[in-house]
Amino acid sequence: MSDLDAYRSKAAAWLESMVPTYGKAARKGLSEADDLALARKYQKAKFDAGYAGINWPTEFGGQGKGHLEKVTFDTEEMKHGFPSFYFGISLGMPIPVLMQFGEDKAWVKERVLKALQGEEIWCQLFSEPAGGSDLAGLRTKAEPDGNGWKINGQKVWTSWAHYSDYGVIVVRTDPNVPKHKGLTYFWVDMKAPGVTVRPIKLVGGDSHVNEVFFDDVKIGDDHRMSPVGGGFAVAIATLMIERYVATDSAGFGPHLDLFVELAKDTELNGKPAIEDGRIRQQIARNYAMRSGLQSITARAMAMMQAGMTPGPEGSLNKLVAVRSRQKLSELAIDLQGSDGFTYDDHASQKEDWTSSWINAPTGRIAGGSDETLLNTIAEKILGLPQDHRPDKGVPFNQIPA
Amino acid sequence: MSILYDEGQQAIATESRRVLEARVSKEELLPLLETSGRYHEGYWTTAKEQGWTALALPEAYGGLDLGLIELGLIAHQAGRSLSGAPFLTSNFGAAKAIELYGSDDQKTKWLPGLASGETIGAVAFASGANALPARPALTLTGERLDGVMTGVAGGLAADIAVVFANGPGMPVLAVAELADVKRTAIATFDNSRLYADLEFAGTPAETLVTGGAAREAALHILALQAVITAHEQAGGAEAMMEIARDYAVTRRAFGQPIGAFQSIKHRIAEIYGLVELARANCIHAASREGQADFITAAAAARISATEAYDTASRDCVQIHGGIGVTWELGLHLHTRRARSLAIEQGNLLFWEDVLVDRLTGEAA
Ligand SMILES: Cc1cc2nc3c(=O)[nH]c(=O)nc-3n(C[C@H](O)[C@H](O)[C@H](O)COP(=O)(O)OP(=O)(O)OC[C@H]3O[C@@H](n4cnc5c(N)ncnc54)[C@H](O)[C@@H]3O)c2cc1C
Repeated sequence: MSDLDAYRSKAAAWLESMVPTYGKAARKGLSEADDLALARKYQKAKFDAGYAGINWPTEFGGQGKGHLEKVTFDTEEMKHGFPSFYFGISLGMPIPVLMQFGEDKAWVKERVLKALQGEEIWCQLFSEPAGGSDLAGLRTKAEPDGNGWKINGQKVWTSWAHYSDYGVIVVRTDPNVPKHKGLTYFWVDMKAPGVTVRPIKLVGGDSHVNEVFFDDVKIGDDHRMSPVGGGFAVAIATLMIERYVATDSAGFGPHLDLFVELAKDTELNGKPAIEDGRIRQQIARNYAMRSGLQSITARAMAMMQAGMTPGPEGSLNKLVAVRSRQKLSELAIDLQGSDGFTYDDHASQKEDWTSSWINAPTGRIAGGSDETLLNTIAEKILGLPQDHRPDKGVPFNQIPA
Repeated sequence: MSILYDEGQQAIATESRRVLEARVSKEELLPLLETSGRYHEGYWTTAKEQGWTALALPEAYGGLDLGLIELGLIAHQAGRSLSGAPFLTSNFGAAKAIELYGSDDQKTKWLPGLASGETIGAVAFASGANALPARPALTLTGERLDGVMTGVAGGLAADIAVVFANGPGMPVLAVAELADVKRTAIATFDNSRLYADLEFAGTPAETLVTGGAAREAALHILALQAVITAHEQAGGAEAMMEIARDYAVTRRAFGQPIGAFQSIKHRIAEIYGLVELARANCIHAASREGQADFITAAAAARISATEAYDTASRDCVQIHGGIGVTWELGLHLHTRRARSLAIEQGNLLFWEDVLVDRLTGEAA
């Protein structure tokens, strides 16, 4: 048995032992507040068992292991429906960025440890009403104020802001230069005076995203994580980290095994659906697509482990997987006929076809829309020309609104 | 799970690409389309000289003892350059069948010639729409083969063929010499693949394996060939993607490069996705040779590579506008090859069924 296989079976056994306390069945019927409380305990248990921050440096409280161990653990963890998603953004982007760019290392370490143990949660305050795909188009501003800065404006779509203790934020510090050049990257205390969080209800019925208002919010210059005017580069670094954090070949929907089960159990015109060519074709094509993504991810992890930089093909993951999840979920509902109507807005998107389907459109927007992902692939990877951009080179305050 | 190419493997890719680019040109390939029975001999000479025929065979029989990963890298380059002759796939498949299922005598008899490329091997399992029919079209009585095998890739030039036949009451995998077999060239849209109908009439043949194991063996050989073909398809798709990209950057309309139109730009980005998925599946499948999930991985590679090559060649022509459909430009060489490769080792429907059988536990 290879070391990795040994790691896998040890992790699998540990995860198995957590199922009664934190698994699907244990969470059933809990209010979100109780579920979050349970999630914090689960995160603490992970930390105590050495499964939090698996591939993070030990100096910050991580385990100092490789990327392969991290994906191995994640793959096993995914099977049980544990409440780990509350920390997905927090541990996914803001904390790794903090470890990389935070100046006060002792303070950073304290934050990392608290986040790893589920005590603190961070959010990512990038998008705004006028700056979604066009990230550099944002308007929330920070002006010098004594020894620090004063923030005014509004963010939107901020995942888990309502539970967050801190956030990383990109703001405009100079409107007189072209838009990419006038941005600066900070962290903010979400409990500071002047910060207001307002939940937004999404199609699937839940409210994990928010509007966040900043009204004369004062922060010290020690909150700054980029040079003044150099925030866009750190924002891009954040999105690069996101590329290999957000990998799930099922597009964050149900595993293909569940579709196969459904097709075996469902009759279509008097015959098992699994015998129908159209159904078989979808299974085969989805399998081929997902196995390709898994192979890309596995190769990327092996490369990182070997100290190399993975290729850009990791950017395909979300684009390809979420679209196919959307279609497969539609087909699963079709297959169930009138049984397909049932909908439970507490059902898991990873196990329930209706829940997967209703939330899939969200997945095609969040973390970059299909269109922007295609633009990125075309321009950054394939070297195709940029779209016509009338705002290019123009000082931000002269761009026609 | 060895899926990072090491230095030696990368060198194979670079070197085979260099050699193929130097020796294969579109100008030589175009005329091959207009006559049947001719192939790019320079390519085959190259393959022999470079040791590609010997690459994945055992050292004891003149091979180089490398594997599917290395041969796949060459096939990828062969696909890029459209180098033509089907022997890389079928020669390899025939040799593997003898290596894996033949007796010591049979190996000694055939493998050295196949490894050096002096003997050309073909594999003939299909019967029309059936890549691996329940009742094969050939019959083996005693040591004699009878019947007609249609659409054999490389059939016009092969010296021997590994066939799937009806033995006495059970299927059998056998190897036959083709010297006295009647061959009819098939007029096709991709003539350089040397497709032929082979008419066996009491042709001497030697049994490799019989019974249920013969069918399994045939599927295994087909899967090995499918992985090589998938690499070739992925290579062709990659070439089409790059050609489309280059054209979209230079061709201008309405005052800008056509690549600035999102309908063009996104189309090429979508092809990138298909190519990368195919490549990833190919690498994975090649690294799973000998493992329990090899057939599954081979099927996934075959499915995604077929989709990638068809789509890439179709869209590349579209992106070129009028010039794309001219004979001279030669994009149709890829369009044709995409289709011929798509049916050569069992079509998409076949591999989809193989895959779903595996996923649902219905496989033998
Ligand atoms: C569930 C969810 C969670 C989120 N979480 C966070 C978070 O935690 N933090 C955060 O900062 N943000 C978050 N976001 C915001 C997300 O990043 C943005 O919604 C996304 O980038 C799209 O921006 P937009 O909604 O403003 O759409 P717009 O940018 O207005 O786009 C509208 C449409 O125009 C298309 N479009 C835009 N530009 C182009 C172009 N150049 N070419 C072609 N088409 C184009 C888009 O693809 C889309 O179809 C979240 C969003 C969702 C839905």
